[in-house]
Amino acid sequence: MSISQAVEVAGDGSRSEFRRGVASCAPVLFGTIPYALVLGAQATQKGLSVVELSAMTGLNFAGGSEFAAIQLWTSPPHIVLIVAITFLVNSRHLLMGAALAPFLRHLPRRKMFPALFFLCDESWALGLADARQRAAAGITPAFSPRYYMGAALAMYLTWVAFTTLGALLGPMLGHVETYGFDMAFPAVFLVLMRGMWKGVAAARPWLVSLVVAALTYLMVPGAWYVAAGAVSGLVSAWFFWRET
Amino acid sequence: MIDATTLFTIVLMAGVTYLTRIGGYLVLRNRTLSVRATAVMEAAPGCVLISVIAPAFVSRNPADLLALAITFVAATRFSMLPTVLIGVASAGILRHLIG
Repeated sequence: MSISQAVEVAGDGSRSEFRRGVASCAPVLFGTIPYALVLGAQATQKGLSVVELSAMTGLNFAGGSEFAAIQLWTSPPHIVLIVAITFLVNSRHLLMGAALAPFLRHLPRRKMFPALFFLCDESWALGLADARQRAAAGITPAFSPRYYMGAALAMYLTWVAFTTLGALLGPMLGHVETYGFDMAFPAVFLVLMRGMWKGVAAARPWLVSLVVAALTYLMVPGAWYVAAGAVSGLVSAWFFWRET
Repeated sequence: MIDATTLFTIVLMAGVTYLTRIGGYLVLRNRTLSVRATAVMEAAPGCVLISVIAPAFVSRNPADLLALAITFVAATRFSMLPTVLIGVASAGILRHLIG
């Protein structure tokens, strides 16, 4: 489909929809940049080259899993562990995609396969919130693909550019731990978890995960504490569950 | 510049990540999970995130523990950017002061 055809199909001005997506993502980008710089700087300390780091953030494009991978990175990397942790950290995408799916039924799969490559916490949250708003306002189709792509591409380009910049600046920054930049990592995760907070009862599995992961970290060498903590939390969630 | 094992690891990471992105859309599109399975899935991201940062909670450095406590409180009230700034600043300053 040519660009002019695409504009015609969109009807309401695809360019303005794209721009609306970029604009709604702008405040999020402001928060993403320091996080991206820190990841890039940490990666070079673990021995990754700038090209390797750019390849990771450009091909994988999932910050949480990249932070986890860099934390666990050794030379040579423990491939099974890193890929398994990447899957565990990103397993939330399965739920996110499922939540978005009802809004995507009118769109052909061949368009959704590339679009979903850019699914991240931010583009998902913005796209879904927008679709719900438009549905409430009676606009059909509720999901605006160009709005979503505007937000998603803004995130993608910022993420890859600033993680790369962080890797380039990394050696100049020296050891980030000295300055406290490594605290950005718990900070970001704790804020993400606050966004997922649904009360004390729903958070009990998180406490199980924290305790098991911490004990495993203290007692078992290597990085198995992530898997141990995550799996025990999920098992506890299954048993904590009560029919309401 | 680019190591074969590293590239292989990155490509595998990218592959499983992409599968998680399309998996929910493809598999769960025409299906409803049981309430119990949904509850487990909803807890999953938090379980993973807290497990990854668990070592910070058992640090032997008092400066790190204090900085984490400050960051924790900040995360309950502020958005991403201020929390990151408070966390990084408190860790940097406390490590300098307490060591």
